[in-house]
Amino acid sequence: MPISRRSLAAAALALVLPLSACGSGGDDGGPTDASGKVEGDITFQTWNLRANFKPYFEDLIADFEHTYPGTHVKWIDQPAEGYPDKLSADAAGGTLPDVVNVSPDLVAPLARAGLALDLDKAAGTYRSEYLPGAWASHRIPGMKGTYAFPWYLNTGPLFYNKALFEKAGLDPEQPPKTYDDLFSDALRMAEKSDGKVATLANVPTIEDFGRYGVPLMNRQGTAFTFNSAKGVELLTRYKELYDAKALDPQALTATPESAGKKFLTGAVAMNPGSALDLGNFKKNAPSLYRNIGITDQITSTGHVNMYVMGVMVNSRTRHTPAAVAFAHFVTDARHQMSFAKKVAIFPSTAGSLDDPYFTKEDGTDETRVRVAAAKSLKNAVNYTPVLFSDQMKTALRNEVAKALQGRQSPEEALDNAVNAADRLLRQG
Amino acid sequence: MAAPLRIRRQLPLSPWLFAAPGLLITGAFVLYPFVSTLVNSFTDRRTLVPGRFVGLANFRELLHDDMFWTGLRNSFLYVLGVVPALVVLPLLLALLVHKNIPGITFFRSAFYTPVVASIVVVGLIWVWLLDERGLINALLEAIGIGRIGFLSDQWLLLLSAMAVTVWKGLGYYMIIYLAALANVPRELHEAAAVDGAGPVRRFLSVTVPAVRSTMVLVAALSSVAAFKVFSEVYLMAGPSGGPAGEDTTLVMLVQRTGTGLTGRVGYASALSVVVFVVTVALMLLVLRADRKEES
Repeated sequence: MPISRRSLAAAALALVLPLSACGSGGDDGGPTDASGKVEGDITFQTWNLRANFKPYFEDLIADFEHTYPGTHVKWIDQPAEGYPDKLSADAAGGTLPDVVNVSPDLVAPLARAGLALDLDKAAGTYRSEYLPGAWASHRIPGMKGTYAFPWYLNTGPLFYNKALFEKAGLDPEQPPKTYDDLFSDALRMAEKSDGKVATLANVPTIEDFGRYGVPLMNRQGTAFTFNSAKGVELLTRYKELYDAKALDPQALTATPESAGKKFLTGAVAMNPGSALDLGNFKKNAPSLYRNIGITDQITSTGHVNMYVMGVMVNSRTRHTPAAVAFAHFVTDARHQMSFAKKVAIFPSTAGSLDDPYFTKEDGTDETRVRVAAAKSLKNAVNYTPVLFSDQMKTALRNEVAKALQGRQSPEEALDNAVNAADRLLRQG
Repeated sequence: MAAPLRIRRQLPLSPWLFAAPGLLITGAFVLYPFVSTLVNSFTDRRTLVPGRFVGLANFRELLHDDMFWTGLRNSFLYVLGVVPALVVLPLLLALLVHKNIPGITFFRSAFYTPVVASIVVVGLIWVWLLDERGLINALLEAIGIGRIGFLSDQWLLLLSAMAVTVWKGLGYYMIIYLAALANVPRELHEAAAVDGAGPVRRFLSVTVPAVRSTMVLVAALSSVAAFKVFSEVYLMAGPSGGPAGEDTTLVMLVQRTGTGLTGRVGYASALSVVVFVVTVALMLLVLRADRKEES
């Protein structure tokens, strides 16, 4: 059967035209007004929660669908690894779920791209239900509005190996609290173990600078400031640790997983983690589990770092009332409280931390850690600047590594990191 | 006259129909991404922000980007380190196993096993082996050499990743050489032996010329693969690309720059265009060197 060139060209055009639409995303979303009947099918995406909390979320969704007949929630869960990449692919492809589990640094680029619903406008009436600091954690410098409901909070415990502390002649019941304590204990540990046991497995992050008391950004949110004298002082002290092998030699290439493994094998004496790690220690390192110590994050400001999880509403959802209602439903006081009783997280709703569950000890380690963490949360600070992107984190990490290797001074390293971060900030 | 002209202007449909599935897949997954990358390289597009045309700004910027030069250096070093090993070692391995003696299939399969193993699994195994407290360092310490920071020193890390690439690729290229060796006429070896040539002389004067075109193919394939290396270095040096990012390769830089919610898609596309141009140049260089040799 013959075919003309014109027909062939038309067929090729028909093939190419749909492709040219790829990646443009859709801007034909629904209304941004959350008032109206709560109905319709929505999608809810969580961040690595299905494996441990499947029954909780299934009950929660069933409860919502029962409360609001005519709604249907499809729950999807993404693995922890590569979550930002998954979000960016969905956002660029116009397939972002209606309700999304986010952290403040993830919500910032989505809000700037107009993909996050401004909850000050759409759900401002709920604001008083949450702790003021938690509600403010999803505000973006340079933008008006709040772009996610605050969900659960955590400070993350710091684990330490009591046996290694004891071997180094340190009091295992008195772990370091401030950076000054940490530096002196770490140097002593390295000296006593002849450089075989490091105290830390990670290079300082932006949160370390924050907890050391370094101002991270200017008030306007237009430039980073962690290259101040205080920042240089922190990096200089980390260099001393690195030279003395008090900071693991492989810290420059460490990932959270590799650092965790070092802690398991007793090569490192302290490591940050989560409540879920205790089960891992019990199973994979019983001798470590018998000697495990749990303490608060190291801080010289009196404030620990608070990690905030949020629930964002896609501004292009076709069912804004249902999406907002569901995001609020997930994060309201009743559900946050019931979630907190399943795992060691803390509610961001006003008054919840005064519940006896978070204030009364019953003599077990579990309640001791919980009560202490809830207490420290009351004046915790979210030190991670919401505008500090992954590229900025890499720039800081690389410059810090060069300083630790002695290839540049701490001052030069931080100046370079700030310049790189500022340049990325300006590029949007 | 009109009828024959009409026939000439017509194209038969059947061949196009047969080719359509392939064309569709190629268009969607090769041609479109390629053209899209090319177009993006002249824009300041970000993951969530449509780009504006910026001319050659991205290419000018990468000339002043230290990390670009680090990536380019490491990718070239990878080619220099890996390609000679992957041209010569699989040939020697193929010579070892191409004779049909009892039990040889076991060795052929054993040498081929790393090729079918997942690169992630292989990478993790080597990370455990080369760790400061891993098996290799324990052995080195036991024989009095002391521990070596394979994974903490910039150059040792790159060398370790190259070793893994060579180890994993040996079996694949060995199979290609086995096919080539099967076509070398036995008479040539016999004639050389009658003329008094020893094994080394026979290898250099008979085997190598006979498999020369295969060696060129292996050089071309392995140089392209080596220049585009990602997994081995990423797994062994970590997402940051080794200490201070000094082991970053160009493809790692593309991934790091262009992905995530704040990814600089325009700049990463410009980097990808450079990778493409260098890869094509490498292929042409190898083929040109071969033609010169032939003439």
